[in-house]
Parts: sequence; structure tokens; C-alpha cells
Amino acid sequence: MSAIYAAQREQNDLYINPLPVRIWHWANALGFVLLILTGLQLRYADLLNVIPFEMTVKMHNWVGFSVIANYFIWLGFYLFSDRIKVYHPELNARRFFIRAFRQIRYYGYGIFKGEPSPHLVRPYDKFNPMQSITYQIVMLLVIPAQFATGIMMWDIKRFEDWIALLGGIRVVDTIHVLIFIFFVSFILVHAYMGALGHTPSAHFKEMFTGYEEAGRKQDRQRG
Amino acid sequence: MNTKPQVLVIDDDVIVGRSFDRVLSGKGYEVSTALSGEEAMDTLRENDFDVVFTDIKMPGMDGLEVAERIKARCPWTPVVVITGYGTADNEARASVLGVSGFVRKPLTPEIIESVTLKAMHEADVIVHAAEAMQKADSEAEEQPDNDGGIGFAAKNVGLFFAAPIVALGYVIALPLVGFYMFARLGYQAYTQRSTPE
Repeated sequence: MSAIYAAQREQNDLYINPLPVRIWHWANALGFVLLILTGLQLRYADLLNVIPFEMTVKMHNWVGFSVIANYFIWLGFYLFSDRIKVYHPELNARRFFIRAFRQIRYYGYGIFKGEPSPHLVRPYDKFNPMQSITYQIVMLLVIPAQFATGIMMWDIKRFEDWIALLGGIRVVDTIHVLIFIFFVSFILVHAYMGALGHTPSAHFKEMFTGYEEAGRKQDRQRG
Repeated sequence: MNTKPQVLVIDDDVIVGRSFDRVLSGKGYEVSTALSGEEAMDTLRENDFDVVFTDIKMPGMDGLEVAERIKARCPWTPVVVITGYGTADNEARASVLGVSGFVRKPLTPEIIESVTLKAMHEADVIVHAAEAMQKADSEAEEQPDNDGGIGFAAKNVGLFFAAPIVALGYVIALPLVGFYMFARLGYQAYTQRSTPE
């Protein structure tokens, strides 16, 4: 690497993902994979018999509680740091729609023509409009809903009033399974989008180092 | 990390590359050569250069196209065009592309050294300007409109928890707004076509 390029790069690398976010992210990823696998074993116990049912239930519960505890690392970090701005909504609807349609056009067309992403990543504005609404809904609605339904099914007796309020155990179970299906798809799309940086591994590296590479000046989009 | 300034010379005439190498290697530069625009683009994919010299007339991709591609990839890299016959048209095209200058053949060691120094100086200026911009940018970003008060924190947290509700509103409205925009564009196109000149 040349001296001038090195200086330029050093100046342009942005610290996008602080340590608590990275710890939460990878622990969460591991937890989700384990929950998906144990969840599949539970749901299809008659077809799959890799782990005994009792043990799978225990594993699913323990991993579930670990993922819930881990969520509070994420929540605590954002609530008690100025990075909370990353999750603030865009209150100017006109600006949101203009930026969102630009991003949709990029995902549907520009990305295949090698165009740079219309969104410029910054520490306090790391998500493009589409990512922004997705993560706001996922992190603050979908994940808590999955936790809530999971906890209810963990101790049905204790939470019977809550379960009844939601329409019974079948409803709670259906919500849990539908969100499970959503997360399986989400993880696949997330990994695919993660490979669309200026190099296939750039975004993955970024989630380990916290730094967005300067090369992404040409391609500032993430999964 | 290689700390020597990196120079890339693109010319289908091997002698030109050798001349640059002979003059600049002894002065602390590291010179790489490419015999065509295509080869240069491959080299540029693997390495970063502080200055690029390119011949204008080459088989395949010409020097101006090479300059254009380099500027698109690394806008801060100075590109100097080497030519045997500078025409006003080529110079105009080159300045639009943002090339750092022209150097005409025949090249003497003095010309090679001075033009390289000039281009390096320009790269340095660009880096310093980028540094200044980056610094100003970071300072602005490091100080979000934060008064540190409880009201401010409450507003931040309120917005944080309101975000998914606003987002759901946007998700519902997005296809409707998209449909409206398409319809409007279609209507505009229709009225434009049906309006007599």
C-alpha cells in the first residue's frame, strides 16, 4: 500500500460499530443460529432426532435466555450513548420517501450496474432509509415479540393470563413460529447483503474491527 | 507497508516505462509499468499508486479512458497524460476528467523528475484537503446537537421507542407513495406528449 493512500485511508476509515454493538451482534448471531437449530429439532421432533427432546427444550430455553440477556447489551448501549441517534426515525416524510426510493432504485438496478450506493455511511447515520426502518421494526418490535412469546411458552402455567389475553397457546405458538420463519429469511438476506461491500468480506470485517474501510467511498452500502 | 511513493507508468512503448524506472528508482520511488490500459486496470485493482502516468495513444483502451477509470476509482490519485502530440481537443477532454497535466515526448530525466514531483505535491495537497474536510466532518459528527440535559435525553429515548411505530407507518405508506409517484410520472409524460409543440 502506498504512503499517500495509507494516509488517505487512515483519514477515511470511520468507526461505525462500537465494541458493545459488535459483541452483541456476533453473540446474537450465534444465539440465533442455535435457536433456529434447536427450534427446528423441537418442531420436527418426529422427523429429526439428532438431540433428545428434553435436552433440546433445555438448550432452547438456555440459549433463549442468553439471547435475551444479550439484547440488553444492545439496548443499554444505545439508550446510554449518543449513538442512540442511529435508531431515531426520520420525521421529515418527504425526505424519507425521496431517500427510500433512491435506495430502492439502487437495490433494484444501480447495484447491478456498479453504481455507488446513494447512502453515505456516517457514525450517526449508519443505516440507509430501508435499513433504518427494517432495523427499527426488527430490534424494537419483532425481537421483543419473539422474546415475549418464547417466555410465555417457557412457563405456560405462570403466564396463562397473558397467553389467554393473546388468544390462547395456539396463537402465541403461531406468532413465535411465524417470527422464527421471518428470522430464518432475515439471516439469509442479511448475509447476502453483507457480501455486497466493495469486497465480499468488507462488511464482515467491519463487524469485527468496527471500522468502515475507506474503499467504501465507492460503495457505501451494507447488509 | 511499502512507504516508497508508488508510480505507475502506462505506455505501449517499453522504453518509456524503462526511462521512468531509470530516473525515478534512484530517487526513492517505486515504478511499476503496464503496456496497455487493460493491464493497468488489473494492476490498479491489486495495488494503489501515488501517481499514474499514461500514454494517450495505445491499442485498446486509450489514455483518456484509463484516466477516466482511475479518476472514478480513486479521485485523489493524480494522473498525468504522456503524449507525443498534444491536441487542444485531447487537452480539453483531459481537463474535464481532472487529469493533473500533460507531458510531451521526448521525455528527459529532468522532465520526468519535475513532473513526478509536481504530481506528488498535488496528491499531498489533496490528502491534506481531505484530512481537513474529514476533521471538520468528524468534529461536526462528534458533537450531535447535545445539550446534555434530562429533557434532551428523554427526547432521545422517546424518539428511539417511537421509531418502530413511525417505521411501520412508512412501510405501509411506501407502496402507496410509490404508486402515486409512478402515476404522476406517467401523467406528466402523457401530458407532455399530448401537448403540441
